[in-house]
Amino acid sequence: MTLDWSIIWQHRGDLAHGVLLTVALSVLTMAIAVPGGVAVMLMRQSPLRPLSWVGTVFVEFFRNVPLILLVYWAFYVLPILADVQFSAFATGLMALCLNVSAYNAETFRAGVNSIRKGQMEAAMAMGMSRSQAMRKVILPQAVRRILPVVASTWVSLFKDTSLVSVIAVGELAHTALQIRSQSFRVLEMLTAMAAIYWALGYPQAKLVDWIHRKYGVTE
Amino acid sequence: MSNIATPAAPDALPDTGALPRKNADAAPVVVYDKVVKRFGALTVLNGVSAQVNKGEVVCLIGPSGSGKSTLLRCTNALETVDGGRVVFEGAPLPSKEAEVRQIRRRMGMVFQNFELFPHMTALENVAVGPITILGADPAQARAKAQALLEKVGLGAKSGNHPSALSGGQQQRVAIARALAMDPDVMLFDEPTSALDPETIGEVLNVMKRLAEEGMTMIVVTHEMSFARRVANWILVFDEGRVIEEGPPARIFDAPVQPRTRNFLSHLGWSG
Repeated sequence: MTLDWSIIWQHRGDLAHGVLLTVALSVLTMAIAVPGGVAVMLMRQSPLRPLSWVGTVFVEFFRNVPLILLVYWAFYVLPILADVQFSAFATGLMALCLNVSAYNAETFRAGVNSIRKGQMEAAMAMGMSRSQAMRKVILPQAVRRILPVVASTWVSLFKDTSLVSVIAVGELAHTALQIRSQSFRVLEMLTAMAAIYWALGYPQAKLVDWIHRKYGVTE
Repeated sequence: MSNIATPAAPDALPDTGALPRKNADAAPVVVYDKVVKRFGALTVLNGVSAQVNKGEVVCLIGPSGSGKSTLLRCTNALETVDGGRVVFEGAPLPSKEAEVRQIRRRMGMVFQNFELFPHMTALENVAVGPITILGADPAQARAKAQALLEKVGLGAKSGNHPSALSGGQQQRVAIARALAMDPDVMLFDEPTSALDPETIGEVLNVMKRLAEEGMTMIVVTHEMSFARRVANWILVFDEGRVIEEGPPARIFDAPVQPRTRNFLSHLGWSG
């Protein structure tokens, strides 16, 4: 078997474009899913029953449906239901956001709930209002516990963006698989794809390890 | 904690009317008027009446689960009462959240587990109340916080986070944090129970100095020697009631109630 690695260099422009879209998808998803997660968490914690119910259903549904199914569903079913046609990129972004928002909501909830009850009491005993206590005492501590988990979610998300390739979003996985099927250089392209994902993902994973070491400490 | 759904006949309280009390002619700071508190089927406070005068150090002693801490937590409405009332500076505690906050500003509280804010330095812990709640000028609040830390002997530790302080040091920061709000009364909930024996003394010394300066203090404690030396008045709790009260000399040297004698002898108190 002869291998022709030059195929990778020939398509460097396409691959670079794919990388760019992969990064864009990850960044946009997280940028939306952080406030999204906060919103869903607040809904879930709401004393209003219907609101907390909606929040709970959102989390339990989007966290437990396979992401690839969500991507297909958003692509084929959503346009019929909503009667609007989104671009493949917007559709993929939406599916990722729903999934990651659900995860973030749970992460944030666990982070806030992990702060000892005595901390809220100490703040209240001084005369702080509940929202002052949240802002000054609870959230700053919760963020330190949440950050390492969100960083791990980010690393998963970066790889999970490859799933939107099934609806022809031209990110890295889709681009590489397209080149493969046109050139029949299967081994070369899959290897290149793995190498690129690894080269991009490894520094991120190391960064996450560092965040865990720095912030993952208990009191 | 014992269930007293079927209360025994109350012990006849010894008449303490004749015993002199500090600042008896001034208006009391805190009055407990037949306070009842239940947790589900459990009656934790079964009609507690007592009073705390200005400048007094009142120590609440008694076995675990006898209701001392619960009464303290009713004082600043961390717990709501199910019967009777708590009167602070002449007015019953309000029920509206915003009004409760106004009252809490005037009561400092020190917890068994310190509850310092771990993400803030010692100085920030002390300054955060005045800045956040009273809208104090940050620079002034910090200068005052530094002075308070010096007062509790921790001027050199103001930049440390709580995790870099010993238990005794953390509790002294917690006292400074409470003092920063210029409270009318200080509530101490077993302030030395979570401490290593060698650091208990430094916290008690700070409290003693505070008492000498005339701070009104309500102290739940198991430190009998502190109660004996520093308190002006002792309330002895058992099963959700005050079974005996009086000046320390009377309580420790000549307790009237058998249950008080029993409690003190269990602690190895020999006078």
